[in-house]
Amino acid sequence: MTGLSYPEPKPEKPSGARPRPESNPAGASAPRRGWIPATTPERHQQLWGLLTIAPALFLILALTLYPVAYSLWLSLLEKHSFFPQERFIGLENYFYLWKDEEFWTSLWLGTVYSIWTIFFQIVLGVAAALILNETFVGRGLVRAIVLFPYMIPTIVAVILWKWLLNDTYGVVNYWLLAFGIMRDPISWLGADHIMLSVIVMSVWQFFPFVLLSILARLQTIPPELYEAAKVDGASAVRRFIHVTLPQIRGILFVVILLRSIWMFTKFDTVWLMGEGAGAGRFIRTLPVYAYMRTLTYYQAGLGAALAVIMFAILVVCTVVYFRMFREEADIG
Amino acid sequence: MNHLRLRRPSTRTLLYLGAALLALQAAFPFLWMVSTSFKPPAEVFAQPPSFIPQDPTWDNFHRLFTATGFLVYFKNSLIVSGLAVLLTMVVSAAGAYSLTRYRYLGREKIAGLILCTYMFAPIMVVIPFFILVKKAGIENTHFALVLAFTSFCLPFTLWLMRAFFATIPLELEEAALVDGAGRLRALIYVVLPLALPGVIATSIFTFILAWNDYIFTRILITSDELKTLPVGVQDLFHSALIDWGLIMAAGMMITIPALLFFLLIRGWGAGGVKG
Repeated sequence: MTGLSYPEPKPEKPSGARPRPESNPAGASAPRRGWIPATTPERHQQLWGLLTIAPALFLILALTLYPVAYSLWLSLLEKHSFFPQERFIGLENYFYLWKDEEFWTSLWLGTVYSIWTIFFQIVLGVAAALILNETFVGRGLVRAIVLFPYMIPTIVAVILWKWLLNDTYGVVNYWLLAFGIMRDPISWLGADHIMLSVIVMSVWQFFPFVLLSILARLQTIPPELYEAAKVDGASAVRRFIHVTLPQIRGILFVVILLRSIWMFTKFDTVWLMGEGAGAGRFIRTLPVYAYMRTLTYYQAGLGAALAVIMFAILVVCTVVYFRMFREEADIG
Repeated sequence: MNHLRLRRPSTRTLLYLGAALLALQAAFPFLWMVSTSFKPPAEVFAQPPSFIPQDPTWDNFHRLFTATGFLVYFKNSLIVSGLAVLLTMVVSAAGAYSLTRYRYLGREKIAGLILCTYMFAPIMVVIPFFILVKKAGIENTHFALVLAFTSFCLPFTLWLMRAFFATIPLELEEAALVDGAGRLRALIYVVLPLALPGVIATSIFTFILAWNDYIFTRILITSDELKTLPVGVQDLFHSALIDWGLIMAAGMMITIPALLFFLLIRGWGAGGVKG
């Protein structure tokens, strides 16, 4: 049973990096150790250093930062998505959205979707990580299988679930009826249940990320801590609260932050679930609404304004989050 | 590693039950897809559903390859993902080399700035990106798609490569330089082989991201013959009557390459896949 080795996932802080020379306060002026060749003139270092980072920097500046900055400008324009004409209209797009009922609905739906998916992802992810951190026969295999939903393309996840949840031929309805849990088949992709369906499907698709991150951290907790707690007669629940939880706080802080950002801006899963289902407008979250304004109604200015609002909400929430959990931020 | 020290057999049973449920919830939808893809049309809609196809057939796959644009989409996906991997590799290797081997003003600021862009979600970038790409006149090309994927992967791959490069002893490189090798040769023959796990992790991360992408392709590509798999397969849904057998066969065919690549990971960098 070889299984997968679970490394520390490193979305934000590559753990393999050794302390960088900057962190060494000594020898600020003398040629620092670790630079090759140590005798190369400063100017040479500058030139080659900048030349080799230039392609990466250029791509990031031109293709990510510039577009994001451009969307600020775009949000002040009245612009058709496909034709070159554009007209400066100031903050009119924002005023329009302020009075736009659909905007507020999409904000609400997006919030509902994010909160429930994040909550269940974290709970399930931590619980599953605790299970997979135990020793049992077949652990390596289960560890590999549980990552499957996270690795497949979203379109596959969506067609899988649309087929499982199909109201006439779906296996979910078949079971509910066969076991007598329901009298009538449920229209899972209909107006009443589509939000529930997309939440369940999203949790299924994304909780392995939480599992992977937490499990990596669990594996680094020294067993002595548990031994000590056991000697003191702590129960499993108390050991979780007093030993495990303090240890995973730091990574939990980062995981909740990343998952919140990604769920709040999640487009493809929600869009593909809603599309063609007839009840799509009941899961029209903010990202979907921004997409539709741009590519269904061709109002690129309004679409950009929505993207800017989304970005602003994220920035505010991130700042508040850091303020609220300053302690964890330091550990993380 | 037995942290919770399970003494009573009932706890042990619960553990196995939990593990079995975990495996089942992940595997069942996939097995169900495999099963459906081998069923003839009549059996697809049979009630009660049969879990193992009673009358297995290759018919769905045959139709997928002959009656739809699947093979074209497959080829496009391979081209775009392959080129994205190549470009990302070159750019992030150079960048990581710069960040670990040269000293210059603002180096850490640049590294921080690049990492920050990891926070940007596709939906925030793609709308202005689409308008800019139109202005540049490269809409509806694979080139635009490769650029989009590369810039999107870069923050993560650059940091990953940097972490790997930082662990390689500089003495080895110095030795090569003393022996008269140029920096480029030292990079190719000394640094890259030693950083091979990082190189592989970077390629897999980029490949899976490009292979699975939906939103960039949906927005940047309009002609059918340039579409990649996720968008092409989604369009199979547009027919009046959904051909579930065919769709499931397509789903299986998209999943297999991503899964193969995933099996290659064996732990490296899997946690960084964005989504």
